[in-house]
Amino acid sequence: MKIAMIGWEYPPFKAGGLATHCYGLTRSLSDKNVHVDFYMPKTKHSTGSEKSNLKIIEVGETEIFPYDRPDSKEIGGNFYEAVYHYNSLVVSKVDKNINKYGKYDAIHCHDWLTMKAGIALKEKWGIPLVLTIHSTEYDRAGWIYPNQWFIDIEREGMQKADIVIAVSSFTKNIIVEKYGINPDKITVVHNAVYPIAEGHKQEIVLFLGRLTIQKGAEFFLRAAQKVKDFEPDAKFVVAGTGDMLPKLIKNAVDMGISDRVIFTGRLTEEEVKHIYSIASVYVMPSVSEPFGITALEAISAGTPTITSKTAGFSEAFKNCLRVDFWDTDEMANKIVSLLRYNPLHKTLADEGKQEINLFTWDIVADKTIDVYRGVT
Amino acid sequence: MYFEVHQPMRLNKFSVFNIGSQNSHSEYFNKKLNEQIFTKVAKKCYLPTNNLLLELIRKHDGNFRVSFSLTGTFVEYCQDFMPEVLDSFKELFKTGSIDIMEETYYHSLSSLYDEMDEFEDQVKLHRQMIKNLFNYKPRVFRNTEAIYDNRIAKKVADMGYKGILTEGTEKILGWRSPNFLYKPVNADIKVLLRNYDLSDDVGFRFSSRMWKGWPLTADKYANWMSHVQGDLINLFMDYETFGEHQWTETGIFDFLGHLPGEVLKYGHMDFITTSTAVEKYDAVGDIDVPWAISWADEDRNVSTWLGNDMQIACFNELKNIGRKIKEKKDPALLATWRRLQTSDHLYYCSTKGLADGDVHAYFSPYDGPYDGFINYMNILQDLKQKIG
Repeated sequence: MKIAMIGWEYPPFKAGGLATHCYGLTRSLSDKNVHVDFYMPKTKHSTGSEKSNLKIIEVGETEIFPYDRPDSKEIGGNFYEAVYHYNSLVVSKVDKNINKYGKYDAIHCHDWLTMKAGIALKEKWGIPLVLTIHSTEYDRAGWIYPNQWFIDIEREGMQKADIVIAVSSFTKNIIVEKYGINPDKITVVHNAVYPIAEGHKQEIVLFLGRLTIQKGAEFFLRAAQKVKDFEPDAKFVVAGTGDMLPKLIKNAVDMGISDRVIFTGRLTEEEVKHIYSIASVYVMPSVSEPFGITALEAISAGTPTITSKTAGFSEAFKNCLRVDFWDTDEMANKIVSLLRYNPLHKTLADEGKQEINLFTWDIVADKTIDVYRGVT
Repeated sequence: MYFEVHQPMRLNKFSVFNIGSQNSHSEYFNKKLNEQIFTKVAKKCYLPTNNLLLELIRKHDGNFRVSFSLTGTFVEYCQDFMPEVLDSFKELFKTGSIDIMEETYYHSLSSLYDEMDEFEDQVKLHRQMIKNLFNYKPRVFRNTEAIYDNRIAKKVADMGYKGILTEGTEKILGWRSPNFLYKPVNADIKVLLRNYDLSDDVGFRFSSRMWKGWPLTADKYANWMSHVQGDLINLFMDYETFGEHQWTETGIFDFLGHLPGEVLKYGHMDFITTSTAVEKYDAVGDIDVPWAISWADEDRNVSTWLGNDMQIACFNELKNIGRKIKEKKDPALLATWRRLQTSDHLYYCSTKGLADGDVHAYFSPYDGPYDGFINYMNILQDLKQKIG
């Protein structure tokens, strides 16, 4: 089986769960004798694969960043143009490879940025199109002012795809309700994780993610303020970067917790692993979270996790704590409980690590191959 | 047939920030939720099933007999919310075809404490309650969820009971049959063992369409029983099986309604109460149970309540608070502490997976075991602060 997969980030360059997914999926697919050509924009980091049937094909540099939101009119024009440009580069590169080596069995695209190319290739070559939805415009906008341009691209892609893979039932429901897609065409495949080693735990409460409206870091700060006096030794770490960073720093100062909150900015892969390994509590207060691979990463490192009730992973994962993202009282209650009650911390950490074993890329690849078989 | 009749006192939401902030410990319990659940179950199960039993006893001239244990928390609910439920139990008792069994008033795990004094106190409280309600002194004991070991058997025998019931698990029986009476190696008391196959056919599998016995009818069930070898078949189950765990629509009331008639068609079968059983039959062998067993979960031991660190921490915390509470001599505080001992609070903190986990989730008022632990532990910490 031969697949053309079109993405836009791949480790070591990554901005979100999509890169992690593409990495885990493509490697496990190639272990199962699926030949994958992975098309992606050229980046400053060098990437590649040592596996013979997995090729990483870079197709020209681009300045677009998938989680960017063209809020201002000035960058808007360039942004859209860059997207179209990248997609047409991909199409011509795939065309070239098909002419040279023959047709693919399926095209597999990830999220909106590559959909135009996927549709063009499907229409030109008659190859089935599989589309994985890692997040929708509604998620990224935190359900406030979603951008119609993205929604239209997403809808067209979902309509034209032969099958849509959603990373959770939560996301499947959005695809059905907001995009009007037939539920029979949507398969749910939950994400997985490469476990991270557990380190020596310190009294650190961790937020890790893009500092965008979607991820809800401001709720983390509000909970931190409530916990502060009850747990005088606890430190709060906000790891990651994004358009809300300046506002969050100001918030922390205004709330009088700036001495207890550490903003790390963007972390390297190694630093991310380290912070997961030493944190005592991970909090994922996302306003909208299609899956939430970071939670699985934290849990794999023995860090009990408090997550938004709606986070996609938690529909399939038992050993975590759930809160409404806006309920910062309850979030604080759970943070303090985890810091204070060792038996709770230990049971959650142990049971969580056990349950993590059920989330492997091997399983994701098997389910994805089933999807390929269904369309070819 | 023996039925456990119990409702726990579910707790209010209690956050770490509430610890030490409120004056009254009566605020621990969620009166509204408890009343709601109790009245719902009373209407679906207790009242209609009691009525049906009364009808059946009369129809069969007293030859249909059952045994009950009513927990103290259940009786308090009856008194607070629906006295007519208690009246209907009294009505049943008057027929003479009903036996009442003893247990701990609070349906607690006090039998597992290192000292047996609290257990004894709670049994005596229950004894007093039964005397007040029915003017009766139970002769057979059944511990919380049939928890049993040699030590408990000895204590219960010493307190004067003639019989005790527990689970008929292979763990203690080996190849032997649960359909006879046994006696403990270390005490003079008869042990009634639950026939879990036949009991669970009704309690768990009745409405399961995946089960090869489905649909279960009274004549089919009576026929199965008629082929069983032994002196007696102990069918022990939650009373809430009727109308609550198994809804009316499953046909559970039709089943129960026809059961006495179908059973009595066989000349060699009749119904017997637990106290008559221990009088009538002799023990056929010894059982030796150094480690506690119970009727709960697949494991049939106490891991249901003490299976993880959270549960053990709460259990110890609660037990240790007791010493100080008793010194205080404050009856209201003592009652609160005892209500917190109801085993359900620990049951909600179980992290067991698979089928057991689903059963736990069905009963739990919490979003999972961890929320259950946090709430319960916060309350225990508050109580600890209150007693200083």
